[in-house]
Amino acid sequence: MADRTSRRSVMRGALGLTAAALTPGALWATVKAGAPSGLTSAQTEFADQLCDAVIPATDTPGARAVGVTDFVGLALSHGLAGGSPTSLDRVKAALGTGDFAAALTRLDKAAFANEIPEAKDWKAIKQAILMGYYTSETGASKELRYELVPGRFDSDIPWHKGDRAWSSNWGGNSF
Amino acid sequence: MARAANHTAEFDAIVVGSGITGGWAAKELTEQGLKVLMIERGPMIEHQNYAHETTAPWELPFGGYGDPDLIARDYTIQSKGRGFSEWTLQHFVNDRENPYETGGEQPFQWRRGYQLGGRSLIWGRQCYRWSDLDFEANGKDGYGTDWPIRYKDLAPWYDKVEEFIGVQGSIEGLPQLPDGHFLPPMAMNAVEIHAKSKIEQAFPDRKFIMGRAANLTEEKEGRSACQYRGICSRGCSYGAYFSTQSSTLPAARATGRLTILGDSVVDKLDYDAQTRRVTGVEVISTKDRERSRHTARIVFLCASSFNSVAVLLRSASEAHPHGLANSSGALGHYIMDHAGSVTAIGLIPGFEEHAYFGNRPNNIVIPRFKNLDGKQEAFVRGYSFQGGASRTGWTRGAKQAGIGASLKEDLRGPGPWQLFLGAFAECLPRRENRVTLSKSAVDSLGMAQLRIDFAYGENEKLAMKDAAGEAKAMLELLGARVVRLTDEPDAGGSSVHEMGGARMGRDPSSSVLNGRNQAHDVANLFITDGSAMASSACQNPSLTYMALTARACHTAASMLKEGTI
Repeated sequence: MADRTSRRSVMRGALGLTAAALTPGALWATVKAGAPSGLTSAQTEFADQLCDAVIPATDTPGARAVGVTDFVGLALSHGLAGGSPTSLDRVKAALGTGDFAAALTRLDKAAFANEIPEAKDWKAIKQAILMGYYTSETGASKELRYELVPGRFDSDIPWHKGDRAWSSNWGGNSF
Repeated sequence: MARAANHTAEFDAIVVGSGITGGWAAKELTEQGLKVLMIERGPMIEHQNYAHETTAPWELPFGGYGDPDLIARDYTIQSKGRGFSEWTLQHFVNDRENPYETGGEQPFQWRRGYQLGGRSLIWGRQCYRWSDLDFEANGKDGYGTDWPIRYKDLAPWYDKVEEFIGVQGSIEGLPQLPDGHFLPPMAMNAVEIHAKSKIEQAFPDRKFIMGRAANLTEEKEGRSACQYRGICSRGCSYGAYFSTQSSTLPAARATGRLTILGDSVVDKLDYDAQTRRVTGVEVISTKDRERSRHTARIVFLCASSFNSVAVLLRSASEAHPHGLANSSGALGHYIMDHAGSVTAIGLIPGFEEHAYFGNRPNNIVIPRFKNLDGKQEAFVRGYSFQGGASRTGWTRGAKQAGIGASLKEDLRGPGPWQLFLGAFAECLPRRENRVTLSKSAVDSLGMAQLRIDFAYGENEKLAMKDAAGEAKAMLELLGARVVRLTDEPDAGGSSVHEMGGARMGRDPSSSVLNGRNQAHDVANLFITDGSAMASSACQNPSLTYMALTARACHTAASMLKEGTI
């Protein structure tokens, strides 16, 4: 929960300084009220499930625990990664009932093979989850490494399996 | 006979603009003993007071990506450019508030930064000398008018500029890309070293070298060496890259002779038809729309290529009905921007056990290798590649199937290596590419909007096609899987190297400026930003603008002292 709280408090803190530059009033109203933006309670519940399924808790917290559901709501309401809140409804309908993880794995594979009409919806949701997680404090600095001031360039260092990548590898993340 | 300029003026010189060239003009003129007013249309941004410089992604509402609704409303053009993000958008203009008209199939992408320091805060920092191959090209093949200067005229000024701003790079001895005074070059990573060796071996006409960038690899006069954050466009409190704020402004302020007027747009220049001199500027405050006048003995226009042209077009008078200093009719014409694109991206196999630490704010460059040594392709002039290798990050996860713990584990490590090559091709100066004032549309201050008519010609398209073929061949040589290949230029403006509009030339009937950046028609008016360019070469142009500015400032200061202007 730490991430969700810190994201919100920083957003409130930034309000005084940069409201004009950064924020449509509606977004701030939602955020200040403490409600996840843009999703119905059913959509929120489903987005929670998806967050758990895409980036589960392992030796670090998963996407749901660090508040990515809120980010997914924000992203879908504003089209950050494409899609819209109703993308959640379409994907939910496509999954049907039964084993959730197995159905989602099938849908994910089919979406990236562009075999299902919900492909765009799912890709947008998945991208929003990854964006939300790896830009959260936990995702960026605990699951990965975050170094704002490297202070030097080590042009060739050995890489061992299990070493964590840097979320602050801005160049590598930009293509 | 020449008549001396007004000695009762408020200032010795007015510099319009505070970006890369405005900052240089302020520094050089104040250091020559002149009392200078520098006018900036945007707000003051002071060094070491950059918004969001150290903000973490989780401290931004949209993780650094920015609010899509806000971007769609206010930043439709700026957001397509490099360096634009939720961290940096305050360094780019609001497109809704700063409209312009365009013509042509691909509207010109005019990327701007209206603030103290201008685009020096957000530039790509690549610094390349031009050679006589470039200065002689117009005269030799007849596209454009002959440059009135040659390499030897600029060489000492390149020296001066490089020594002051700090440019790192390697000595290569290439005639088409003269060496300069460089700080030690940044290092290549494992894949770049591999690519250099393979490409130089297979293609003896090519060199794969470290980019020459205005990022410090050694401490310099109150500026720290680069910290390899790779976030230059946010502003750098270390002062590790050249900007007005980090470099020229402190020098100009140290003289005690600089006054800065911010939040003020120069509407027009005041002109005295009797003395045939400019006498000052007419300014509109962007805060309260109040108009004011300021007088000076000389004026330097450094407002960026198109905005300097706009000031002259708005300064039309009875004596200069088609715009000030436009007896040639060339004003606004022959605009250029390098034809550019991310030509190719390839995934490079192997090197999984190699990585790097830190974000090098610099790329590699493959200098021009076409149409040299008497060879002639289907197109004239040339292109060069800039690019670099990096390991892909977590963003690859959104482009492939996979969920759950195995996805999380995969994204914990770096992905495969990618190498990108982007071409910059020379853009020929053509009369039909031009900026004019809109006949009907005005901006928020009531000034006529600019209209930009621009299209690439056959030569640029042929060059880019050729570049795509060469990029593909080089990537395939490395065993790469090519995941992106583009053989057409992006829309004009995308390279953010807009040039021309007030070109230099020997002949006052076909050019606006002489070889000293002095207006043929108005002896105390100097224009030293990109508008002065008579051709584009294929190198990044800012270093040349700086050298031209420093040179013109010394000319102007001595003319003032001698009483000839």
